[in-house]
Amino acid sequence: MTEIEDVQTNAWRASVERALADGEHFAGAWATSRGKNPTWRALLTSGERSRVLSCDVTAGEIESIVDLVEAAGWDEREAHDLYGLTFPGHSPMRALAAHPDDPAQWMIPVSGEGVHQVAVGPIHAGVIESGHFRFHVIGERILAMDPRLFYKHRGLERAAEGLHTDEALTYAGRACAACSVTNTVAYAHAVESAHALQPDRELRTARTVLLELERLYNHLHDISAICAGVGYAPGAMAFAALKDRAQQVNMRSFGHRFLFDTVRIGGGDAQLDATAAGATLGDLRELRVDSASAWRELEFTSSLQARLDGIGVLGADDARRLGAVGPAARAAGIREDARSTSPRLAYNGFTPASLRAPTGDVASRLRLRAIELESTYDILEELLARPFTSGGTTSVGAGSTLGIGLVESPRGATICAVELDGTRVGRLHLRTGSYANWPSLAHATADNLLPDFPLINKSFELCYACVDR
Amino acid sequence: MYILLRQLATIRRQAHLTRGQPRSLAIRHVDAGSCNGCEHELTSVTNPFHDLQRYGLDIVASPRHADILLITGPITRRMSGPLHTAYQAMPEPRLVAALGDCALGCKILGDPTEIIGSADDMLPVNIRIPGCPPTPDAIAEHILTALSQCG
Repeated sequence: MTEIEDVQTNAWRASVERALADGEHFAGAWATSRGKNPTWRALLTSGERSRVLSCDVTAGEIESIVDLVEAAGWDEREAHDLYGLTFPGHSPMRALAAHPDDPAQWMIPVSGEGVHQVAVGPIHAGVIESGHFRFHVIGERILAMDPRLFYKHRGLERAAEGLHTDEALTYAGRACAACSVTNTVAYAHAVESAHALQPDRELRTARTVLLELERLYNHLHDISAICAGVGYAPGAMAFAALKDRAQQVNMRSFGHRFLFDTVRIGGGDAQLDATAAGATLGDLRELRVDSASAWRELEFTSSLQARLDGIGVLGADDARRLGAVGPAARAAGIREDARSTSPRLAYNGFTPASLRAPTGDVASRLRLRAIELESTYDILEELLARPFTSGGTTSVGAGSTLGIGLVESPRGATICAVELDGTRVGRLHLRTGSYANWPSLAHATADNLLPDFPLINKSFELCYACVDR
Repeated sequence: MYILLRQLATIRRQAHLTRGQPRSLAIRHVDAGSCNGCEHELTSVTNPFHDLQRYGLDIVASPRHADILLITGPITRRMSGPLHTAYQAMPEPRLVAALGDCALGCKILGDPTEIIGSADDMLPVNIRIPGCPPTPDAIAEHILTALSQCG
């Protein structure tokens, strides 16, 4: 159950400031336009606890908090573009979800002798999602990069409003295929927490298995993509094949290569009897042996390794300041992982992965994923040792109208906020790990060579679809 | 590298990959608003299990080099312009393929003011590949069938 604290407009900044001083973390903010006035809410977390600061925005404006929490920058820009809120103190307010014609309205101004722009996208050269990058460069060196996303804005959050909570699940799921399990589990957690429903052991197991299978194929894919970013074809193809095998396991065990439609509110469609659990475990053990030996090969491939060190550095201070999450943050030395604070899932005693020397570069982000693959195999090994049914939930008290789900996706902590009107969705908001990390990616590209951008981009491997929504 | 190449050779052997006839067709992909599922599967078509390139089919970097425009996702308001530009940039004769249920207009999710519609609403579609997302096998099969009908 999430505690909500109502705050007056003029006390907003002070409340956020106090929360941060008390050690709470900013985890996202969203606007709603359900009542007479728009409402502006922020999620604050500390360990397993989370609470929401809520504020009725009477005159359409509310003081910015970006100078206190830089990570709130994108949230404020989005609320400005989609909900018409203004944030005094956030200046210049650059467009994020809106696409004005005038470049000055969305780009960082960069000028000087020899500075020129390189425009890339929205259509890219490979099979890549659509989005635009504007590089400001001198020669080959990047001074700054502006990502312009939301080309694929489908208005999923608005479209989900007014739907029954069961129906709206698909909107969270189809926001992004590669994070589909994470986003639907986060949504289910949000709705269940609002209804004061507690998942039983079977349901916790089933969802954790699905989440780890999603992480498995994504991490294998990301390692393949980093090899491709360097032009190392044997590595790219070997890990592409391993990823495909992981997706074949998904297909055999749960009927879909991306595990679509396996999560439901109050239950699920994922269960394995003893034979099926054993077969899945057998497949995964074979995969583990082959992915470990393929990884050892990468570690000793000097032409690959020589390209990774010192590229696209995101230091710990910057990662913290910009609100980085997931492997990108852990590779910078921030030992945070939502799995270690997930009582609604079966991650008992989980400790976040860490590197001996977290350098925050492409090499660290690659190595961290390889380490996390091992813990994913370990978790699956433990959970698949016994059969499980799809499980269910038990009621634990009175419900509320607002629920929060917080789940670690392959790209980092993903938040789903759901506000309810009875059995219907009043507001659905997804703030995915990718959304949190785009500002960090933009920051990490500065001072690198333009031809290294694809490699840096692949080392973060952020989704566009679950940002654009 | 030896172990990686051996793993790949084993996969190819076990997948019983055959060689295609010598011919060539270039595909340009445009994501018009997809959830990234179709992109993952389209990428998988070139992995060692499927190896679409053995049929002379390749995914190219520019619409100028392409015979087929392959569209994924429902077409969003913001992507309709770039999609149209890509189509205009292609040499004739050209084909249009709609990949996945969204591009085909089935069960499109989203706010109607943000979405133009399906591929059919914008361009003449020649090849239809259903699925959510279509599996790499289905993608390969549909494109190869279309190729054989082209003669």
